[in-house]
Amino acid sequence: MRAWWRRRRNGGAKAGADAFALRLVAPALLIEFLFVFAPLALGLYYSVHSVRYFQLGRFVGFDNYIAVLTSPAVLNSFVVTAIFSFGSLIFTFVVGFALALHLERDRRAAVFMRAVVLVPYVISMLVGSLLLKWILSQDSGVPQSVLGIFGITPFSIFADSSAAMGALIYNAVWRDAAFAMILLLAGLKSIPLELYSAARVDGASAWYRFYRLTLPLLRTPMLITLVRLLMHFMNSLTFQLILTGGGPANTTETVALRIYRLGFEDYALGRANALSFVVFLINVVMIVLLTRLFRPAEKLR
Amino acid sequence: MNYRRAILLRKAIHFAINLTIAAFALAPLLWGLGSSLKPTNRILQVPPEIIPSEITFAHYYTLIENDLFRYMGNSAIVSVASVALCLVLGALAGYALSRFAFPGRKGVMLIVITVMSIPIASLLVPTYTLLANIGLLNSRVGLVLLYTAYELPIVIWIMFGYFNTIPRQLENAAMIDGYGRFEAFRRIVVPLSGPGLIASGLFVLIAAWNDFVVAVVMTSAEAVRTLPVAVYFYLGFFGREWGPLLAASMVSIAPIILIFVLFQKYFVSGVTGGGVKG
Repeated sequence: MRAWWRRRRNGGAKAGADAFALRLVAPALLIEFLFVFAPLALGLYYSVHSVRYFQLGRFVGFDNYIAVLTSPAVLNSFVVTAIFSFGSLIFTFVVGFALALHLERDRRAAVFMRAVVLVPYVISMLVGSLLLKWILSQDSGVPQSVLGIFGITPFSIFADSSAAMGALIYNAVWRDAAFAMILLLAGLKSIPLELYSAARVDGASAWYRFYRLTLPLLRTPMLITLVRLLMHFMNSLTFQLILTGGGPANTTETVALRIYRLGFEDYALGRANALSFVVFLINVVMIVLLTRLFRPAEKLR
Repeated sequence: MNYRRAILLRKAIHFAINLTIAAFALAPLLWGLGSSLKPTNRILQVPPEIIPSEITFAHYYTLIENDLFRYMGNSAIVSVASVALCLVLGALAGYALSRFAFPGRKGVMLIVITVMSIPIASLLVPTYTLLANIGLLNSRVGLVLLYTAYELPIVIWIMFGYFNTIPRQLENAAMIDGYGRFEAFRRIVVPLSGPGLIASGLFVLIAAWNDFVVAVVMTSAEAVRTLPVAVYFYLGFFGREWGPLLAASMVSIAPIILIFVLFQKYFVSGVTGGGVKG
């Protein structure tokens, strides 16, 4: 009798606690459903209908998807996105790794320098790209002066497709190397120092310690950094919209910019939603990959 | 003696490396600041002056005549409202996740991690479609709700982690003394959560103040225009007249740099938080 009573009372407390907890998460869930999941559902609905200037037309099945995925402009944008993403990924990762190793020690100079390199990352992307656009344009006089030193005849960077792509990648590295640095620093700090001391006692050289200790122990943080950077670059819009405007002749028009133009310049909401959903699916694959990477990282802790 | 010289050389090399890094990171900002203070005819001078020989605030006055303060006000209202909403909702949800094993907890966690990782670019068109249908385009409320939806998962994540570091015994003791569940949270836990709240608030503030992509898509009316969108429109309006453009850029980043310098140590926890947004 007593046991039954206690169980019942505890059950009541559990139910009360559950109701309390659900009330606490409900407002947050409501916002996410209204402004993240509802738009996705509506976008999916629009993507299988013909849409003309906001007027929802008849059901067309996969027509929008077929139109989008066979359009030369879209296919071009996928190629451009791949070039931009992998170019930026490699340089950002290498520079960020170098910064993390260089600024790893908590000396005063290193702490100060970490703040310095973070400045391009914390200011708005719009302003960062605008400043680089100004500097790389011939108006500022900088390209003429710098190229002159190397004996290159000054040319307009944004009128040359490879130079424009280079400028975009430079912009990405300039802004996001510090982001990679922070993620990698967190990984570096989790390696116990005793391991290095022990290796040193055993006579391991600096290069050997890096190659046989740092790199293997940093595997998961490195993978997480790579996936996060890659997702960020694959979906970047501001760099292209401000710095190059996709030009010259669409050679720097990435998928995100193509979606933007389909949606907000051509007002083709059916096709824009279809392409958005394709990109969303690619992102979901990356997110699943990322959460797989997170799990062993949490176990380690 | 040789040893000392080696140390000195090492220090000199380190200093040179740091100087190069700082130059690469900050040169565009300093160059922009210098140029925004030059008179128009000097801005386009080739070869350019590195340090302006003549300083003028004319470009900043031009901006003030072009509604700068209204745009700053819009940005401030939207950012502060997003921070407030995110902190309240994020603290509540983070607390529930940290303390209670309620049914559906795993699902909520999954939603938090997923939304944290969805890049905004793939949401723009669908969200525009939705806001157009429910009449929330061109409104500050719409922007606040969107920023809240996008930044809330990171706030929940940071607060969840922070609440985990606060011992439960404190609330249990308070509840034995007669506090209700919510009272124990509000009067015992919240006052102890300062650093977590500051870190998340900073993160939302910077994201909302800096946002350009969402605002440029969801608003077109001048009355609700935020500062980054205004900078973008100045780009079209002033064209190659770089003076006012660079001045507007400086105005837009100055508060963020100030806040970053003051609260730097809180910033890192937001970046490493787990989201994918760069």
